[in-house]
Amino acid sequence: MLISSSFGPAAGKDDFVVATDPVRSGVSTWLRLHTYNVRICHWINVIAGGYLLLSGIHIFLDFPELYWGHTGYQGYPAIFKLSDWGISWDEAGEMGNRMWGRNYHFTFAWVFLINGMVYAAWNLWTGHVRDRLWPRRDELSSARLRDELAEQMRWGSPARATATSYGTLQKVSYVLMIFIFVPVMLLTGIAQSPSIAAAWPWLLDLFGGRQSARTLHSIGTVLFVLFVVVHVLEVLAAGAVNRIRAMITGRFRVPEEAQ
Amino acid sequence: MSRMTADLTRTTKPGGAISRRRLLATGCSDAFRPPVIRGGLIGAADVLTMSTTRWLLTDQPLAREYTRADIAPDFPTWGQTNPSDEVYQQHLSEGFANWSLSVGGLVERPRWFSLDELKRLASRTQITAHVCEQGWSAIGEWTGAPLAQVLEAAGGVTPDARYVVFESADGWYESIDMFEVVHPQTILAYRLNGDDLPVGNGAPLRLRVERQCGYKNIKFVSAIRVVDSVAGIRRGTGGLSSDFGFHWYGGV
Ligand code: HEM
Repeated sequence: MLISSSFGPAAGKDDFVVATDPVRSGVSTWLRLHTYNVRICHWINVIAGGYLLLSGIHIFLDFPELYWGHTGYQGYPAIFKLSDWGISWDEAGEMGNRMWGRNYHFTFAWVFLINGMVYAAWNLWTGHVRDRLWPRRDELSSARLRDELAEQMRWGSPARATATSYGTLQKVSYVLMIFIFVPVMLLTGIAQSPSIAAAWPWLLDLFGGRQSARTLHSIGTVLFVLFVVVHVLEVLAAGAVNRIRAMITGRFRVPEEAQ
Repeated sequence: MSRMTADLTRTTKPGGAISRRRLLATGCSDAFRPPVIRGGLIGAADVLTMSTTRWLLTDQPLAREYTRADIAPDFPTWGQTNPSDEVYQQHLSEGFANWSLSVGGLVERPRWFSLDELKRLASRTQITAHVCEQGWSAIGEWTGAPLAQVLEAAGGVTPDARYVVFESADGWYESIDMFEVVHPQTILAYRLNGDDLPVGNGAPLRLRVERQCGYKNIKFVSAIRVVDSVAGIRRGTGGLSSDFGFHWYGGV
């Protein structure tokens, strides 16, 4: 009933818990899969991310065009216009509430930032990032990536339902999310602030101007939505109840096939 | 001259010497929080946002200044573009020849300034990006009298001065704190791109507070008042946009 596990520092005598499962065969094996810190930060992050997305959309709808450079206003050459996609300026304005958007966007940006710093500091310190999130060199071979991708395409494959460590593609997407995407979103976000741009004018140079920062921030929003959609689909494909329960309680029930 | 007045003159040079400690010493610790703190998580975030950005701005850097080549081909007009107020329309028809700005409250010598008197004060010209909280931004060349100069010409502010409140011809009002008042780029602008300020952009006088969003850059300014508290002024939050529910501090 014991499963060998390669869990880094989280591994310990508590890792395997035998519990009674009244519905199934009587006894099943449970595994401590996620630490407190990862669980709490993850769900705070989901709430903050949800509010950031919603409030960000509200802010965007109030000015539904994107430009490049320092300058951009209605009538100035735009690189994206929502009106080209069938939603007129006025319709967008009615859908979006700028005041609500700004209040909640900046509030949850702080929640997101503080939560993210706790998560990053804690998990760099404990080795979680190195042991469980950072892809190993041998995982990054193209043959292996191809195999994993093929595996990903099979909804509910036994290997995915029983996996107790992250797949390479999963690791890569988490690492990109945490160490590339989040910092870029943060910087393109604050580059739009006139007070921060005055303190750190290099931010404007880095992104090519305030409107460029706004455009990159909006492209980032689309990538964020894609990440969440794929992430949630992956969770569903890998055994929704068991996976989500594990992210809440920390305990993962090792499926029968693996025992 | 009061202590604050002395500070006001000293800091009208770019990169002014006012330090965070000096501001604290002169009763400007308001620099880190809005006059009214909203409840809940939003209020906490407001204070975090304001104190963080103000801490980054400790040395009072200038907002970036651009070149003539960067100036927007046609500077947008937004919100109120022509107040219907009768008195305002009268002044407009007279080319603002009989218009004057009232400067009162906690200044040593409350007085009125005609447009010419304001233009005779030492002026400042700056090519800056107007950043609207709505999302747009445009670069324009503003010329005007530094607010600190105007207050100085009214005898300087008294030691308990904490906010400057602006009233406009269309019934709007906003306020800024001393941290922003002493900044060299905080000007009462009467020219845009070398011409008299167009009506749509707030003729004859508008506030430029370059490190805050558009909604703090109040147009059609008709009166300014120095106060020790914004309580009791309309709904008491320090501005019409914050009365509506925007954050009083427009730095982000
Ligand atoms: C704001 C959007 C989200 C972001 C940025 C995000 C990010 C992450 C990250 C970085 C991890 C790895 C955590 C670690 O081990 O340190 C993770 C794992 C996980 N997330 Fe999310 N997540 C989001 C939304 C969601 C949602 C909506 C669900 C619910 C369906 C969910 C369910 C899970 C589960 C179950 C795991 C563990 C996966 C496993 O054991 O294979 N996430 N997420």
